Amino acid sequence: MQQRATKACFIFLILSLYLLIGPAWSAEPIKIGILGPFSGSLAHNAEEMKNGMLLALDEINSAGGINGREVELIYGDTSCKPAEGMAAAKKLLTRNEVLALGGGYCSSVNIATSSVAQQEKTPNVVAIAISPTITEVGNSYVFRSCPNSPQVLDGMNAWIAEVKKPKKVAFLMENSDYGRDAEKIWMAVSKRVGAEVLANLYFQIGATDFTTEISKLKELAPEVVFHIASTTEAALVQKQSKELGFVTQWVSAGGQFTQAFFEMTKSMCEYGMGATADPNLMLKNPEAVKFVENYKKKFKDARPGLFGSQGYDNLKVIANAIQRAGTLSGNLQADREKVRNALISTDLELSQGRIRFDEKGQLTNTFVPVVQISTDDRCEPKLFVVYPLNIATKAYESPIPWDKRKCK
Amino acid sequence: MDSLFLQQITNGLIIGGVYSLIAIGLTMIFGVMRISNFAHGDFSMVGAYVAVFIVACIPGWFGFVSSILGAMVIVGMLGMFLERSTFRPLLSRRTDIDIILVSIGLSIVMENLAQLFFGSTPRMVRDPFHGITVDLGFASASLLRLVCLAASVAIIIFLQIYLNKSRNGVAIRATAQNQKAALLMGIDINKVYRLTFVLGSALAGMGGVLYGTLFAIAPNMGVMPTLKAFIVTILGGMGNIRGAIFSGFILGVAEALGGSYISMDYKDSIGFIIIIIVLLITPNGLFGRRGA
Repeated sequence: MQQRATKACFIFLILSLYLLIGPAWSAEPIKIGILGPFSGSLAHNAEEMKNGMLLALDEINSAGGINGREVELIYGDTSCKPAEGMAAAKKLLTRNEVLALGGGYCSSVNIATSSVAQQEKTPNVVAIAISPTITEVGNSYVFRSCPNSPQVLDGMNAWIAEVKKPKKVAFLMENSDYGRDAEKIWMAVSKRVGAEVLANLYFQIGATDFTTEISKLKELAPEVVFHIASTTEAALVQKQSKELGFVTQWVSAGGQFTQAFFEMTKSMCEYGMGATADPNLMLKNPEAVKFVENYKKKFKDARPGLFGSQGYDNLKVIANAIQRAGTLSGNLQADREKVRNALISTDLELSQGRIRFDEKGQLTNTFVPVVQISTDDRCEPKLFVVYPLNIATKAYESPIPWDKRKCK
Repeated sequence: MDSLFLQQITNGLIIGGVYSLIAIGLTMIFGVMRISNFAHGDFSMVGAYVAVFIVACIPGWFGFVSSILGAMVIVGMLGMFLERSTFRPLLSRRTDIDIILVSIGLSIVMENLAQLFFGSTPRMVRDPFHGITVDLGFASASLLRLVCLAASVAIIIFLQIYLNKSRNGVAIRATAQNQKAALLMGIDINKVYRLTFVLGSALAGMGGVLYGTLFAIAPNMGVMPTLKAFIVTILGGMGNIRGAIFSGFILGVAEALGGSYISMDYKDSIGFIIIIIVLLITPNGLFGRRGA
């Protein structure tokens, strides 16, 4: 008898505690699914994207949520593998019954997961993944809040054709949709400027030893090496190039320029180039400046990077569409339809610039500047815009041999 | 011979040394205990993280040497603990599938614990030799890589002497050859198990320091060493230490030459292609005894 009374007391205590500290929201939270490779070799980049989203989530919820309802994020781990991504997406859409799907990362995964969203008739805004295929296949529920690879590389290609004009080029690419799509674009550019393509080398995601590849490249001596790789692989390529004394102009899409990359390579990445809308460089965009400030305040010692900024914008785009969709009826399918219709007319100024979608759901009218890495007095690597010239913060410099560099 | 060919052989030998080192531990444990340890590469990962912390405290080459010793001691102790708590109780059940599943589970647990404690951001250990490159005449390599090759060769020779000359070494070899006979000769089998597992883990730890110093350190870095160590172990004959030593170098060189002259895309599959060919021709591996 006494035992039962104690148990009742205990339950009462727990319940009252819950009511006391529980949120004072008027209704059930609005659930948004977030996909990303939260485990595996890209986990740190997914973490940066997540941080950007958490910053956006703070801003949304502290301003009263969406129409008085709190926003809740539910994460799905893709491990950067299409099959796992599809399972995670399916779980978020059918079991967690999220209203919309955001996040992303890894083109191959997003090509698969966006088709799941289409099947389930759920709006899916892809945050980070640049393969054009994602929006080109014509899935009416799929949007992308970041540029695709032709958009990312437009500025870079102009720089190659007008400034660098290489005679001999080579490719060192990640064997994925990210790498293969970029290769197509750069092959066309090489042909246009009349450059001879010496080698097309591929490596698997997660590869560590590139000495075979770099030795071969050194033998061929190309002026420019087009290079698509994620943070770790890209850092290892820089390190091993130094070990083997290989000098070339590395040209990349810029996705690898993260805090982890700079900490791993230090000055070894000097002269590397990429195309990136890094928020630290977007000094003329007040939203980017605000993002950088708030990010530094919320995450001490963390560098606000491209992925944080893209994650931030992604959640803001989704939240804004839900807000404009008006009061939700509670019928999941009807609500998802409403959000999708609201997404079509998105027009927002965010940390990556103005966000609007074309009829395929792709971000339009975007421009990604060309950047080069240079080192400061303490030999710490830093990004500078080198093209187009009207917004350049530094002139382009050709790479010099390792023993002549001031940072060893 | 052209310089690219010699350069690729050098690259292959250097990485082959690390492969051998990690594979010897795996093959020793298999030879004595019949355990296929799929968490072997994660032991290397722990060793690499030990190096991260030691190198942060002690700079220069002295830090590099202490991190190798520190990793061997700490990973060896971890091996001792896991052998007693996890693997030995399973041995009495005598079903390989239990041990394989437990070691795969252990690998997942270790990887996730590492992500929890150390974070998912990959790190690089500062090169203790400040990126000095040595020109060997026929090829060039960084001093760090040459030191890694020398260190793995030295430890392999030391291990060979230990196994052939010392009392404990002979006990390990006897147990690997015939467990019942060893038991009848008065060898304490449990002690041999412990010693083998500690040695094997310590080698994995040292391999992890070299692997992590050459490449990058991250919680999931154990996948590649595990895979390569299994290729080397199968190639050299399961449980055959001398086989593992040579196969490690063979794999390293085959990958470098295959990648350079056949196809770079399939560099990592070359090991598997060799395995298929070797197993078709000599099912006990390149150095395995017939009927072993």
